Amino acid sequence: MDNSKHQSAWSKSIPFGEQMRIIGRLFHYAAPYKWYFYFSVGFSIAVAVVNIYLPRIIQVYMDSHLVVGRTDFQMMWFFAGLYFFGMVMKAIMQFVQSYLYEMGAEYMLENTRRKLFAKLHTLGMRYFDQTPSGSILSRLTNDTMAFANFWALFNSLVVTISAMVSSFIAMYMVDLKISLWLLVFMPFLFVMVWYYQRYSTRVYRRMRERLSLLNAKLAEGITGISVIQQFRQEKRINEEFNGTNDQYYNTRKAMIRINSLLLNPMINLFYALGTVLVLGMFGVRGLHAYVAAGVIYAFITYLNNFYNPMSEMMDRLSDFQDGVVAGSRVFRIMDDQTVEPQQHPVKGATITRGKIEFRHVTFSYDNVNPVLHDVSFVAEPGQTVALVGETGSGKTSIINVMMRFYEFGEGQILLDDRDI
Amino acid sequence: MSIFIKLGWYFKQEWKIYLIGLFGLLLTALVGIVPPRIIGVLVDTIHNGKLSGQSLLVLLGVLTLAAFAQYGARYMWRTAIWGEAAKLEKVLRNRLFKHYTEMDLEFFQKYRTGDLMAHATNDLSAIQRVAGGGILQFADSMITGGTTLIAMITLIDWRLTLIAIIPFPLLAVMARYLGTKIHIAFRDSQAAFSRLNNKAEESITGIKVIKGLGQQQEDMDDFNNQVATTININRRVNRLDSLFDPMTTMIIALSYVVTIVYGGYLVTNGSITIGSLVSFVSYLAMMVWPMFAVGMLFNTLERGNASYDRVMDLLKQKSAIIDDADGVDKAPKGEIDYHIQKFSYPDDQRAALQNINFKVPAGHTVGLVGKVGSGKSTILRLILRQFDNYQGSIQFGGIDIKHYKLDALIPAIGYVPQDTFLFSDTIRENIRFARPESSQAQVEEAAQKSDLYEQIQAMPDGYDTAVGEEGISLSGGQRQRLAIARALLINPELLILDDALSAVDAETETQILANLHAERQNKTTIISAHRLSSVMNADEILVIDDGQIVERGTHAELMARGGWYREMFERQELETKVKGGAN
Repeated sequence: MDNSKHQSAWSKSIPFGEQMRIIGRLFHYAAPYKWYFYFSVGFSIAVAVVNIYLPRIIQVYMDSHLVVGRTDFQMMWFFAGLYFFGMVMKAIMQFVQSYLYEMGAEYMLENTRRKLFAKLHTLGMRYFDQTPSGSILSRLTNDTMAFANFWALFNSLVVTISAMVSSFIAMYMVDLKISLWLLVFMPFLFVMVWYYQRYSTRVYRRMRERLSLLNAKLAEGITGISVIQQFRQEKRINEEFNGTNDQYYNTRKAMIRINSLLLNPMINLFYALGTVLVLGMFGVRGLHAYVAAGVIYAFITYLNNFYNPMSEMMDRLSDFQDGVVAGSRVFRIMDDQTVEPQQHPVKGATITRGKIEFRHVTFSYDNVNPVLHDVSFVAEPGQTVALVGETGSGKTSIINVMMRFYEFGEGQILLDDRDI
Repeated sequence: MSIFIKLGWYFKQEWKIYLIGLFGLLLTALVGIVPPRIIGVLVDTIHNGKLSGQSLLVLLGVLTLAAFAQYGARYMWRTAIWGEAAKLEKVLRNRLFKHYTEMDLEFFQKYRTGDLMAHATNDLSAIQRVAGGGILQFADSMITGGTTLIAMITLIDWRLTLIAIIPFPLLAVMARYLGTKIHIAFRDSQAAFSRLNNKAEESITGIKVIKGLGQQQEDMDDFNNQVATTININRRVNRLDSLFDPMTTMIIALSYVVTIVYGGYLVTNGSITIGSLVSFVSYLAMMVWPMFAVGMLFNTLERGNASYDRVMDLLKQKSAIIDDADGVDKAPKGEIDYHIQKFSYPDDQRAALQNINFKVPAGHTVGLVGKVGSGKSTILRLILRQFDNYQGSIQFGGIDIKHYKLDALIPAIGYVPQDTFLFSDTIRENIRFARPESSQAQVEEAAQKSDLYEQIQAMPDGYDTAVGEEGISLSGGQRQRLAIARALLINPELLILDDALSAVDAETETQILANLHAERQNKTTIISAHRLSSVMNADEILVIDDGQIVERGTHAELMARGGWYREMFERQELETKVKGGAN
């Protein structure tokens, strides 16, 4: 069937400037919980620093004690204890880092939902007439969720970047020359990440589109089963479903192929080739001079730390686009100007008698075609006034303006002789 | 483990690709042993001052080769195993969907739409995880874990290996334990989310009532409370989720302590070289994931097994309607001969229908009237073979309807229910649903007959206007007329209108009935209605009450008889007059 609708929602591209503006506003929503995020980032950096020191402990242990044979059990237990202490610290900080970040994101998500819900209540009936309720609901639940995922991507980015930077600093401290040589890989790495992001986002989006189409067909197949059976269309509907299922399967296979080509195996390849370079340089040096075992160990461990968190981060990159698209939709509601009729600032009287008077009320739903035209009548207290007329003649509209679901254009409505 | 046996048919069918995948895994594991060892050897030769340019080149060459070999092997198993998992999901989804379309009404009354959806999405994805992640976890813990362990024992030192891996089983226990906990917490979180969703949906759809009663503040408070509950539930998920990495770190730390002390001791007494210790530490890191996999495997299999059983339960259900394979193949034509002694719904002892006997000669129209719940629709549904377990027989053109092939019988009947389903598609596709190859002219003709032509013309996109879930919402009367157009398009031998004019106004009803009368000269029509004007001109009218025929005859005869029909007719006449007067 027709899937242009599904596509349009996903494949619409947002200009870069607009994307940045949306991300800026997302940060604005995180502001009340900024301490969660500051502390979390702080702990990420602390974990990265501990990761510099742990291999250092082993290095010193190997080079200054084991190799020179100058060691006893006391010394061994000391180093083991030191290492264990480092690991315990790391474990605690890992926990706090992750928990703080996730809770911060959780509060931000729920707070956005609260704000959005409160905003919905300030919108006039006009808005609800024009927007299908399913789409409002989806803004409130799914889209806010999408930018929570987007926020998780940031966490992943922070962890990756602090790991890369700290590992590089550590390598730099161990051996300046080799660490600089490793920068040779950086351009390739960037190109790979850039290419992956570009390509996988496209495939991922197509996969999502097809999945939502597939689920829509599944739901229709079930809810529409009576019609399908009454017209004996089982075979055709099955064929259509299989077709959509096949399409989804094909994009999913494409996704698997891209991930197999560029994700984990590729990061591992980078690491392995980095190892070759490092060992090669240490080896050449080792031809004429002594290279300590601990140094090689530490350097290789840093190299591992450098690449380790990358594939997870890359895997999350596809959340970026989703988050921006979802953010833009949520902000559209936040910015909507279809306001509800204003509450009068002075609280005013309570209704005691219940006299209703319409004076020359003119009203239209869309500001073009008036539905009520110069309507005037009086309903005295205790009187019953009946409104009759054809469907669409304006009976409900009279009630709508009186209940102030909509603000009317001209005229006055008086309740107990007071303007409502 | 039983789920692996239950999925045996699939593994057997796809054994070649699985073999490639397992071979890739084995290759990855074997090649994986090389780099740590080379690092160790290099460390030792430098340490001993025996490194030559040639041996360095050889070592680096092997290392480079291993790097590319591993890349290839990883690509191989990933595409094979993940691809197979995706394929299993596809195969099962097709099978399940086909099964759904073949099931009878009873099935759809037993299971709610949401549940059927969940089985076709969540359950299938749990099953595919067995065929992907499950196989991987199983093979990885055996192959990678095994080869690494053997490498550590043979290449380094068996005593150090055995002592250092003592804490490792804890990884499996932790993965299993936390995995189970987080699964439960996550389920609670999902439930909280859907409660929040329901609350929001209620508020949005009921916004007018809320505003009308001035309940905005209360509604917002209610929502905020729901949000607060959700946060509390998710806090648990986040806490458990944040525990994975730190616990792993702690368990590895224990292992390192042993390695530092005992490994150091072995180095100082000369049992192993310093290079071997460097290699050993790398091998230890390679053991983490396989141990983790053991723990996760149990969870994967457990969930997959439960899901598989649920899906198989569904697939085992048989439709009560049996299509006669040797049945009559030609389209039915002619008289309907309806004789039902007794019929009760499958889950109900009471008789829904009793002694319903009538004939509809070709070209005639029969009307069914009666109170809501009197059994009018039930009579019609039996003709459609929605239920077969009745006493009596229904003949169409002299042959029992059970002796037709469904493919012959059903397309000869155009059925229009009171409340119909429209697909998320254009008006055109909805009208030509039963015959998608119909031309625009045929579609327009059907629209004309059901008096919908002008209204479609007035729509901005005409026949391309989208309706259904994502399209514009049509009024009840428009929906009914669209359903009538859909039935008329196939020009059915038998047309059944099951209270299908309830939402259209009297004028439109008259117009449509006149169109039908003119069009369907030699074809049979059965109209069931609440409004008697719909059946007034029928050749025979049956008044149904409590599953039985209480009055029958033509309009004139029934009026003369002065029973329920006449009373009803006069009351409805009066109502029309009152309404007319008000206008």
